[in-house]
Amino acid sequence: MSPMMTIAKREFRSYFDSPLAYVVMCLSFLALGFMFFVLRGGFWQTDRATVQKVFEFTPWGLSLLVIPVVTMRLVAEERRSGTLEMLITLPVRDSDVIGGKYLGALGLVLVLVAGTAFYPFAMFKMPWHLGPLDMGPVWSGYLGLILFSAAGVAIGLLVSSFVESQAVAFFITFAVLGTLWFLDDLAEVSGQSALGNVLRYVSFQTRLAGFWRGLIDTRDVIYFLSVTAAALVVSFRALERRKWA
Amino acid sequence: MATDVMIQASSVSKRFGHVRALDKVNFEVKRGEVVGFLGPNGAGKSTTMRILTCYIAPSAGTAKVHGHDVFDEPLAVRQALGYLPQRAPLYTDMNVMEYLKFAAEIRGLDESVFKKRLKTVVEVCGLAQSLGKEIGTLSHGYRQRVGLGQALIHDPPILILDEPTSDLDPNEKAEVLRYIKEIGKDRTILLSTHNLAEVEEACARAIIVSKGRVVADGPLDSITAKTGRVRYVVAIDEKNAELGKKAPGIAEVQSAFGALMGVRSTKELPTDETAHRLELIGPQDTDLRAEIFRLVVQKGWTLLELRRDAQSLDAVFRDLTRGDERADRGDAWAAAHGRARDEDEEGEEDEADEKAAQAAAAEDEDEDDDESDDDDDDDDDAEEQRDRKG
Repeated sequence: MSPMMTIAKREFRSYFDSPLAYVVMCLSFLALGFMFFVLRGGFWQTDRATVQKVFEFTPWGLSLLVIPVVTMRLVAEERRSGTLEMLITLPVRDSDVIGGKYLGALGLVLVLVAGTAFYPFAMFKMPWHLGPLDMGPVWSGYLGLILFSAAGVAIGLLVSSFVESQAVAFFITFAVLGTLWFLDDLAEVSGQSALGNVLRYVSFQTRLAGFWRGLIDTRDVIYFLSVTAAALVVSFRALERRKWA
Repeated sequence: MATDVMIQASSVSKRFGHVRALDKVNFEVKRGEVVGFLGPNGAGKSTTMRILTCYIAPSAGTAKVHGHDVFDEPLAVRQALGYLPQRAPLYTDMNVMEYLKFAAEIRGLDESVFKKRLKTVVEVCGLAQSLGKEIGTLSHGYRQRVGLGQALIHDPPILILDEPTSDLDPNEKAEVLRYIKEIGKDRTILLSTHNLAEVEEACARAIIVSKGRVVADGPLDSITAKTGRVRYVVAIDEKNAELGKKAPGIAEVQSAFGALMGVRSTKELPTDETAHRLELIGPQDTDLRAEIFRLVVQKGWTLLELRRDAQSLDAVFRDLTRGDERADRGDAWAAAHGRARDEDEEGEEDEADEKAAQAAAAEDEDEDDDESDDDDDDDDDAEEQRDRKG
């Protein structure tokens, strides 16, 4: 197994060695259940065979709770406790460390995302059969969630690479992801002005809207992949800057 | 590897902003040596170790471990060494077995090799009872053992241990030192510490750093001789003297000894009311005991004690690193502790420091270049750093 995968495996398993993963999962599913079934009349008021609400609400939870919690400790805690020095002085590249930590955290977030598949499965396959479900928007919705998670975790890792406190990392990631999500609402206020267009362009919500409807736009895919790659490169540089401090 | 030099630092400098943490550090560690790396807090020990383990890059100079440059071949360097950072930072959520396996996997050991090595590591580090325990529940001493275990899991030819006994109680310290001696039988070890007793116990050679510079490097015996001074303790009976002669006063005793050829200084030591007790400082290469004895006989005094102390490593260390303490606490502190140096003494100490530094660098011909102007050095450092970054 490559050093990157060994680090990813350790990182992923470490979430389950503490109550963290379990608490985050429980809270996320509770919140999603509330939003799906209760908020604004819930699923039953939609009167259509669709689980679009899952894809609309899951990024909220991911942005405001799951990703900040999962990524806050990635590098910040290791730097604070000194284990980063121990890790980096093993025969690993800095890119292995960043990649491994990223994959470990993304793995946990994707487990949570996969958990949301319970909704379409339970309501349209077993035990309930509420009608034939159009699977196109479901697949594209999940692709959107995966891309969103990839970008969000990379941003969380980036923040964690720059700070030494988990709490600070949590709040900065929370603020950055929250802002990127709600930029769409700000864009609405700004109307069709140049500013509004820019806000709409970078808003995660705008970029995900197409996926909810079953539309996979390569521009959106490339946008999320670009954010992910850029955040990972900057994280790598942030880790590397210790050499030149 | 063709050469026997396992660790080599050549003019290694490191700057943190405007602070120069290391200033042209030169030393070599050969195969099979256990070397104590000494210095007060903030002298640059950990910085040197972090450079040698490729955690940080030098601002200037080069360092090689097992023949590999720390900047150009970091993976080869890390593969060749086992490193235990200060306070053994470990993943406290893993158990000992998981952690050792994690380190072995990253080092590319396959399962069968790991099992074989695990057996040895468990035996050497005394981890048999702790393998299933979570690291977070272990005492500091056991964590150090686990840290040593991970450093040894791939059977490296070189070990770099940064203050492995800090925060340990005396029993744990003794245990860890015993492990170091045990594993040092067939490995090259660079052991950083500011505990001199540990160095005297575990190492045959020491490198002393102060304010980012190597101020002494060599076998312990030659380091203790580095300052070129020997201390004598003399006690003269202050109540009784030879029949018909008057018991001496302290001023008389002090001036008589001070006038002896070779005695550099005299100082009264605390004692009870029966004796005058003095400390005399003499040169390293001459034994003054006979002269002292003859003087006592000639004066008709009663000699109660005469002792010659070679400078202990502890004293040499304090002597060589005195500037650090002075810089930290200020001249007022130095004056209050009798360390305000008059010009003579200062010259003498500077000479001793210079001698020590020169001796340390004697093997390295490049040292000649190191004496160049500081400003030029700064420019060179900055240029080299830019080059490396580029």
